[in-house]
This record gives sequence, C-alpha cells and structure tokens, in this order.
Amino acid sequence: MRYAILLLAAPYTNQASHSALRFARTLLARGHQLETVFFYQEGVQNAARLASPPQDEPHLVDAWSALSREHGTALQVCIAAALRRGLLDEREAARHGKQGYSVEPPFELTGLGQLIDIGLRCDRLITFAP
Amino acid sequence: MLLHTLNRSPATSRVYQQALAAMGPEDRLLLVEDAVQGALPKLMRYFTGLEGRLFALREDLVARGLEGQCDPSVQIVDVDGFVLLTEEAEKTVSWY
Repeated sequence: MRYAILLLAAPYTNQASHSALRFARTLLARGHQLETVFFYQEGVQNAARLASPPQDEPHLVDAWSALSREHGTALQVCIAAALRRGLLDEREAARHGKQGYSVEPPFELTGLGQLIDIGLRCDRLITFAP
Repeated sequence: MLLHTLNRSPATSRVYQQALAAMGPEDRLLLVEDAVQGALPKLMRYFTGLEGRLFALREDLVARGLEGQCDPSVQIVDVDGFVLLTEEAEKTVSWY
C-alpha cells in the first residue's frame, strides 16, 4: 500500500516524532511504500538542518534524511509553518535577505495544498501529533 | 471500519471521550504512548463497550514498565500489529 505520514509535533518535546519514525520504519519493513512524510505545525522543526542532539540520543533530522535516501520518501515541509519558525531553505533565505539557511534537501518546502494531494493519492494517511 | 488512535491517558485528558463519541460500532481503538495506561484494569472503566476492539501498543507499555499488567480483554499489539491495523482499517483517525 502507499502510505503517507503527517507529523504535527516538534522533535524532543514529546514522543510523537519518535512514534512516527518507528511506524515509518515498520511499514517499510512490511513491504509498503512510504510516499511522503508531511511536516506541519511544530512538526516542521524536524527539518532543522543544524539540529545537533547529544551523540547518545537519536538524531531525528538525520533519521528522516536517511529514510528518504534509502526509500525515496519525499520529506515535505509546510512553507508557511516553516518560515515563521525560522526554517528557510537556501532559496527562501536569499529571498528574505537572510544569511545562512536552516533547511536542506531531502527536506523540501512546499504548500499545504500538497497535503490535500497526499490525502487523495495515498491509500493510508496516518497522523502523529503531540 | 475505522481505526482510532489515542495518545493521552484517560486519567489526565478527556480527549478519549471525543474518540469514543466518534467511534462507529465496528471501529477499533488503539492506545499508544501515554494512553496505554488505559489498558490497566484500574482505568479500563473508561473503555467499556469496546470488548474485542480495544488494542494497546506493546512497545509503549514496555517503555512505561506496564507490560504484563494489562486487563486481559485488551489485545496487545507491537508496531508491526499497529501497521496491520492501519492496513485493515479504511482510514485512521488520531486523537491527541
């Protein structure tokens, strides 16, 4: 089946991001396809390029990136939620006259309309929230 | 048939009431994260009427030291079972 995950919670503040990652790995192990993880509301913090958790803790940002590289999962980040939280890719940083950027591929800034599209396209959409 | 997931303990949040009110007669409820407390015999009273349709996530029970303490009417599933439940359900609704 074609799955998608909607993640609404920030990393390291509650269990939701870890639950979502665990679910993602398990569904892939069962032979399903994970088309997209959509990061919305505080969930956009999962895309923070500069996140540097202690080495003995799970690195959620790297874990999502690895998942995308290994399984072709799109990592879509709501642009409106991201920009107001200081999460800008190179293009948006340039557009807003900011030095440096905080989001990089495979995470991509995208519109909320994509979430509607995912809901229509995928067989299953599972939400993980705070 | 829909799968509903709940991640708040019925002892600390009332969102379980909304989940129960929204559930159809065939729908299933999976307790995850802090909601697994609801599988304890003492807190089972919040979920009467769900016999055979109430599940709790093993990994979250283990993380809280609650494995082996659940009411026998609750079906314990691991994350693999969670995915299976989402396969079997037409849609999954998350309550939080």
